[in-house]
Amino acid sequence: MSIYSEKISLKYNDKSILEDINIEIKKGMILSILGPNGAGKSSLLNILSGDIESNLGNVFYDNTDIKNISIQERAFIRSVMSQNQPIVFDFSVRDIVEMGWLDKGNIRYSNNINNAIIGVLNDCEIAHLEKRKFNTLSGGEQRRVHIARSLIQLWRESGNKDSRYLMLDEPTSNLDLSHQIKLMNMLKKLANDGVGILLILHDLNLAFNFSDYIAIIKNGELFAYDKPLNIINKNILEDVFELTFKVDIIDNKINVNYI
Amino acid sequence: MNEKTILGLNLSFLSGKQTLSLFIFLSVLILILIIAFSNGSFDFSFISLLKGETTHIEKTIFFEIRIPRVILACLVGSSLAISGACLQGLFRNPLADPGLIGVSAGAALGASMIIVFGSTIFSKFVLSTFLLPIAACIGSGVVIFLLFLLTKGFGHQGVTYMLLVGIAINAIASVGIGILTFISTDSELRGLTFWTMGSFGGITWPLLLPAVFIIIIAFFFLSPVLRDLDILQLGESEAKSLGIDVQKLKYRVIFTSAATVGASVALSGMIGFVGLVVPHLVRLIAGVNHSYVIIGSALLGSSLMVIADLLARTLIQPAELPVGLITSAIGSPFFLWLIFRINKA
Repeated sequence: MSIYSEKISLKYNDKSILEDINIEIKKGMILSILGPNGAGKSSLLNILSGDIESNLGNVFYDNTDIKNISIQERAFIRSVMSQNQPIVFDFSVRDIVEMGWLDKGNIRYSNNINNAIIGVLNDCEIAHLEKRKFNTLSGGEQRRVHIARSLIQLWRESGNKDSRYLMLDEPTSNLDLSHQIKLMNMLKKLANDGVGILLILHDLNLAFNFSDYIAIIKNGELFAYDKPLNIINKNILEDVFELTFKVDIIDNKINVNYI
Repeated sequence: MNEKTILGLNLSFLSGKQTLSLFIFLSVLILILIIAFSNGSFDFSFISLLKGETTHIEKTIFFEIRIPRVILACLVGSSLAISGACLQGLFRNPLADPGLIGVSAGAALGASMIIVFGSTIFSKFVLSTFLLPIAACIGSGVVIFLLFLLTKGFGHQGVTYMLLVGIAINAIASVGIGILTFISTDSELRGLTFWTMGSFGGITWPLLLPAVFIIIIAFFFLSPVLRDLDILQLGESEAKSLGIDVQKLKYRVIFTSAATVGASVALSGMIGFVGLVVPHLVRLIAGVNHSYVIIGSALLGSSLMVIADLLARTLIQPAELPVGLITSAIGSPFFLWLIFRINKA
């Protein structure tokens, strides 16, 4: 069970954005995408989420071509948080999180929306903000609200075996260090529950220590795609970021610093 | 969540406070309607009417002049308020108002064309009472579509961009109306001038019913997608990832806005600021989700317009003020306040 792409390429005005990308978000695994600005990371996420279509190649959700899955159906399989736009009206935090609740009378969901929302608000540590207006929150708090919204979209009663995937574009941006670690631990727990997770990250240490797989994209090409330790050991980072790195591995904990 | 639906509206998204507010809006509207029915340049006793103690001429005034006029004010108020709320939601822009962004002007141009050319082209057309509102709807639809192209599919372009586009569209439409005024004959010019002055006077049932019909259809076309309009506020990609067919949603909202603006402009000319002020008032009272905002705007818009019309026809009796003057007098300071508020945020 996975979301995978087969040879996807994307062009924009004859400029190649992505070329021949084969990548797989496995159930229960965290895959992090790294790469310089403008490498095509967000475009790749948008293609995998079905927001934009690639010029060549296909995307499959659990072996079904995404073209054969309706927009409504996709929402039950994966949730997405992209780099968010401002919201002009004064919605409360609770309102925003509730938007992730796909209530169209679908029996796959429990009737107990309240418990689900309170659980997710606590997980994201925004329970105390529930009644606040979204627009009055700080950037980091807003980010956590959006994360909560994408988590509620994937919420299922315990014991449910639906395949679920989560795609987050720079979830740690604007978060303080403590919230970054808490978020990554929560994602790890979610992966243990069977959710497949795709992240775009810039923090190398977070990526290498919390991910099961790392994909590095440079100039629209999949430069490296492997387990974290294999990538670290082959000194791939220096070629990608054009910096010199010092890497320490102590008790399986990876520590990357640039010199 | 159990599904509570009334007339196609999903009410499960209303909070307790919102339900109460809507109930109060409705009560206020009924009260205002009773006042408006019995006051005017010719005062009635409601009770004597119910008892049947009225003369023939009183009945005629009441059923052929007073009632259509008050219902028209109701309709125009609610449709302008609904279209304002729709356009603000669709463009994700709190300053979107059918008058400011040129949608009303488009409708006016469409209607003017029918007033000037209609009599020569469609002289014996069966549905001629439908022609004026339909032409106005097409006019407003064209403008919304033009805005759609200019803002690259309603992408979030910033608040000022849309107002600037609105200024340009208003100018283009007034050029069109100017040309029509120039080439029209004396009798057409008379019709055009009376119509652009924008009044609720002179309305008759045959003119009123087509608009009622159009507005009711538009409202029920919109009501199933109100929740989707909330989710659209997250941004288009987000809405799509939450399972919403954004394209279809846009077409529905465009249709509703065009139909409501078109029908009301066709009947009463351009009346400004109702579409801007009412949805904001409704949001300030009990929240911003569209299931509440749209119904609330319809009720509050009706009430405000009926009051404005009551003032227009009673303040300087026996003469009449243009109702647009009264709505602008209330609306323009509100508009300024809104600009300051948005600037501060």
